[in-house]
Amino acid sequence: MDRIRREFTTLTLVMIPVAIAINVAVGQLVLALKIPLYLDSIGTVLVGVLVGPWAGALTGLLANFVWTFTGLFPEAIAWAGVAAIIGALAGAFRVGDWMKVWWKSLVAGLITGIIAAILSAPIAAYVFGGVTGAGTDAIVAMFRAAGLDMLGANMAQGVVSDPIDKAVTFLIIWAILLALPERIKARFSSE
Amino acid sequence: MRAPTLYLHRKSGLHALHPLTKLALAGFFLVAAATLPNLWLVLGVFVIGLAPLAAWGQVFKPFIRTSALLIWPFALSLFLIQGFFTPGENILLKIGPLAFKAEGIWLAAKFTARILVWLGAATLLMIVTRPDMLMLALIERGLPRQIAYIILTSLQIVPRFQGKAQVILDAQRSRGMETEGKLTHRLRMLVPLIGPLIMSSILDLDERAIALEARAFSREGRRTSLKSLHDTSMQAAFRWLMIALIVALIVVWLIRVLP
Repeated sequence: MDRIRREFTTLTLVMIPVAIAINVAVGQLVLALKIPLYLDSIGTVLVGVLVGPWAGALTGLLANFVWTFTGLFPEAIAWAGVAAIIGALAGAFRVGDWMKVWWKSLVAGLITGIIAAILSAPIAAYVFGGVTGAGTDAIVAMFRAAGLDMLGANMAQGVVSDPIDKAVTFLIIWAILLALPERIKARFSSE
Repeated sequence: MRAPTLYLHRKSGLHALHPLTKLALAGFFLVAAATLPNLWLVLGVFVIGLAPLAAWGQVFKPFIRTSALLIWPFALSLFLIQGFFTPGENILLKIGPLAFKAEGIWLAAKFTARILVWLGAATLLMIVTRPDMLMLALIERGLPRQIAYIILTSLQIVPRFQGKAQVILDAQRSRGMETEGKLTHRLRMLVPLIGPLIMSSILDLDERAIALEARAFSREGRRTSLKSLHDTSMQAAFRWLMIALIVALIVVWLIRVLP
């Protein structure tokens, strides 16, 4: 309880909408550069890493609500729980001091990606009939052709795509932490 | 730049309903699509439930357009993937080693209908309900104000941040940054693009926080709102009816699926 209270200062509350808008805007930049990644949880990871796991979780959860509200990606709400766990994991890795070294950040991203993939697959398989309506469905089709069932193919697709996406996300956040003045970082810290 | 929300202003009976009434109705459609056992029943929810409601809300055309826009990527993936890879006997079409089967088509149609109703219910709710009014209604029922603040502020600033991203992209390009080329090169370009976006946003957070504090944001206690919601006892009764129907649908579904 005490930790939750310490994480949710006014500064954190103003940061969360900014982080959510960053998720959307970075998603757009990635499209403009034609990079085959999403990077749409970069703001969520940023809040998790700067503030802590509870704030990260809330950012992820509400980010997917906002995606739904904007109409850009209305099915996002089905994955709100996964997004919350991504934010919480980012916070946990920061508490565990993994975000100071580049390769530990990379490993943290890979682990987050694998967990996200495992949690997302049942949602895609049982709720959406094994598809997400995105380009990655081509990979799902490949795994189904190789003989995997609906859940298996979705999990395999996730394990192929998500860890790379999250590893790049965590590395970018590591670089940003490096560039941020100590004075600013201290303002967010809930320790 | 795209509009931040789907809301379309009309003077319709549907628009005039209390946000929670519309939320309960959307929830009912959502659960109905998830639990009804038969493709035709699910399609029926769309045809005799959602579509006439959209017509009543004077948003029939935009509603159908948005639904079509959202459903087609799902439909395409579902029919291709399930059509080819669902095990089955009734082969419709053979392309090399792959066979297109009737069983897969049925499965794809069922999921497509379901997703159509889900996305339709969600988009219709958002087309006819102002987000701030929905949040106000939820605050009155106990949603923390901070949550409403986060969602509404996000919706407001998303277009501004999309603009900001575009400005940074243009600025770096005008300095000669190459945004085409090999993937590894484009990946490296992410840092000079995302870096300024995040840095500049973090640096003006303090100002936002001070602006809120100056308006007693973190003060405890009840607030009065400038806006007010219109509710009737008829609508309250209707909401309870929807909740009862949702519970009934889930119970019937559980009886059917549990051994």
